[in-house]
Amino acid sequence: MNELKQRKEQKNRFFQKDNTIAAKDRIVAWPRMGNIDLALVALVSSLGVKIVEPPPNTNEALEIGVKNSIEGICLPYKLNLANYIMALEKGANTLMMFQAPGSCRFGNYTKMAQKTLKKLGYKFDMVVFDMYQSKMKQTLQAFWHVTRCMNPYRYYKGFSMGFNKAFAIDTAERLLFYTRPRELNKGDAERCYKKWYKIIRETNSVLGCKRLKKQVIEDFKQIPIDKKKIVPKVYLLGEFFVLLDPYANKEIEKTLGDLGVEVERQIFFSDWLEHVLKPSFLYKKESHRERCVRFAEKYMKRAIGGETIETVGDTVFASKNGIDGVIHIMPFSCMPEIVSQNILSKVSREEDIPVMSLVFDEQTGKAGYQTRIEAFIDLVKRKKMKSKIKNENKKEEMLAKC
Amino acid sequence: MKKDNTEIYNNIIGIPKAISYYNNYPFYFGFFKGLGFDILLSDKTTTKLINEGSNYVVSDTCLPIKVFVGHVINLLEKGCNTIFIPSLQSTAYKVNNCTKIRGLPEIIRNVIDRSFKMIEPTLDKTNNISFKDFCYDTAHQLDIFDENKIEVAIQYGWSIYNNFQQMTLAGIPFEDAIKYAIENKIVSKPIEIVKPLSVVIMAHGYNLFDERISMSLIKKLEKMGVKAYTGLNVSKQDAISSIEKLGEIQYWANELDLTGAAAYYMLNNKVDGIIALSAFGCGPDSLMVDEIQYHASEKGLPMMHLTIDEHTGEAGFITRVEAFVDMLIRRKRKILKDNNNIKRLPSSKREQTAKKDDKTVSFV
Repeated sequence: MNELKQRKEQKNRFFQKDNTIAAKDRIVAWPRMGNIDLALVALVSSLGVKIVEPPPNTNEALEIGVKNSIEGICLPYKLNLANYIMALEKGANTLMMFQAPGSCRFGNYTKMAQKTLKKLGYKFDMVVFDMYQSKMKQTLQAFWHVTRCMNPYRYYKGFSMGFNKAFAIDTAERLLFYTRPRELNKGDAERCYKKWYKIIRETNSVLGCKRLKKQVIEDFKQIPIDKKKIVPKVYLLGEFFVLLDPYANKEIEKTLGDLGVEVERQIFFSDWLEHVLKPSFLYKKESHRERCVRFAEKYMKRAIGGETIETVGDTVFASKNGIDGVIHIMPFSCMPEIVSQNILSKVSREEDIPVMSLVFDEQTGKAGYQTRIEAFIDLVKRKKMKSKIKNENKKEEMLAKC
Repeated sequence: MKKDNTEIYNNIIGIPKAISYYNNYPFYFGFFKGLGFDILLSDKTTTKLINEGSNYVVSDTCLPIKVFVGHVINLLEKGCNTIFIPSLQSTAYKVNNCTKIRGLPEIIRNVIDRSFKMIEPTLDKTNNISFKDFCYDTAHQLDIFDENKIEVAIQYGWSIYNNFQQMTLAGIPFEDAIKYAIENKIVSKPIEIVKPLSVVIMAHGYNLFDERISMSLIKKLEKMGVKAYTGLNVSKQDAISSIEKLGEIQYWANELDLTGAAAYYMLNNKVDGIIALSAFGCGPDSLMVDEIQYHASEKGLPMMHLTIDEHTGEAGFITRVEAFVDMLIRRKRKILKDNNNIKRLPSSKREQTAKKDDKTVSFV
């Protein structure tokens, strides 16, 4: 108990909340991660605070991050730091970040970023969402600290809009993955997705946000598709940030979709949000993590931090649910994913499912991946054909016997 | 033949000479002896052993894990079929280990395709699995359920570990300390020859005390006339309090070997420089070294970061260490000169007398 208390005191000392900035003057920014912006903008702006959005992740942004961070750190940190610097230069004075101590180097991100930015001479207040201490309480406290918003209706409006937007954009993405390989006119699905991205971004009422999901589904239904086409399914899994951020993974989903492959992604932002923010007693069905622990039982007896157990469990799950191949992506020198990479080779052998690991870092070129992905997809397609022929032969044999 | 082999090795537990061996072996020794088992250690690390280990794992895996796999294979080839591979998850609330060390049994189970019995207890204080549970778990996996026996074994383990710690804190080298501790002896501190320079090496035990991995860095430094302090010479309390004094929080479970030692000696002004030794691609080390580098540059203390992997050549390694030591000597000389601590030897008799007069005057 004493230890716990000590640690809490230490933490409070380190993340001293800066109360000198009035809520009116606050300009909030946060690091980019895929479509996280849509939900957060809706939430924070409805609480009445100004927002600065850092420019999208590009090579130039990454260069800024690489320049200011240490050599051995992983890709997500470099991108996050670049986002911070660019936002601060645009005039932000409050940075938001969530962290989960005890998983991997991720727990040290805010601490390091704070140090680096102070060294560079910026003045700011960093608000940290500590996801492991208490979920909803911490989140509300952090928002209260930033906004000083007393009006409960505004909180309701913000959270409702944020959640609905997150669900809508994720539904759109799911449908995009389904439609892209099957579409008759190339580019239809992509266009539809981009249109809805814009609409979801601009919708600004609670009721409108609630309707979004249905509208998205209806609109995607109208795209002409070839329903009989045989499409191989690939499961995309790995490290959380690289999975969600289209810049970090070099738009691997688009590459796969254009090759005529249906992508199923391990986790969506909204799933994760639900998992993190919902109190555990509200869960009635099996959560994603529990499912993974169940499936990974044969290979792993304990959770070892990071997303190792999810990666392994989902690979086994994929092999048992009619998925033809698994692509495992991770940033360079990611500790948990190296462990899962070691384990996955055995899983691949025993569960009879092709697995390919791709490692991303700042020197990644797209061309090198293209060939590797194409070769892998060829393999997956051939395997699918083979199994189909085998099944047909079996059927014929059965019929002949009858 | 095979039957004989299993009978011989029935009562023997294999402990790979890697990772947690370098921190906890004295305890393991006492504990297993108390339970009535004999211990078989793997051989010394060699290049062949590393190559063998790295055949089994993915190339991105760090060197210590490759070495660990190599040692396990070595034990299996010796005919040992019970191997102790603990999973040390966290040593205090939310103070976790590196993922690879946490998942050692998982890696070994999935990477090595041979049948053997793996003793894999878990220590995880974040989830309320205490050290006592860890010991009981070990004993249960070895089919020992007698509580008295286990308690006695734990006590015996602690007594040997305490002897070991007492000796290392007094400054006895690691290998001698382990040797004497196992013989249940305490040897007092040898007479220390004062050396002109002293350096603290911040590195994990499994990197530093493995002579193949660290290329016997400590011995090389001693040959150059440099006293090397390590994490073993600092007690846990001192290490934690000095980290706190620097304004940091202990985040990694095995952090005390690195930041603790470096912070302690840095704050006490006992050393002239810091050498950081870490394996290539080590996640925690990259952060810890950066942390210390930040404080060292604030204090104006020279620091060198050596990165090692399985291809590191000894020649390049030595040159860097020598250059660093040369630089330290020059720096120290300059500091002493500036503070007028070195007296220029008087060249003539006249000067000598003049100086004497000066002294008398000043004393009066």
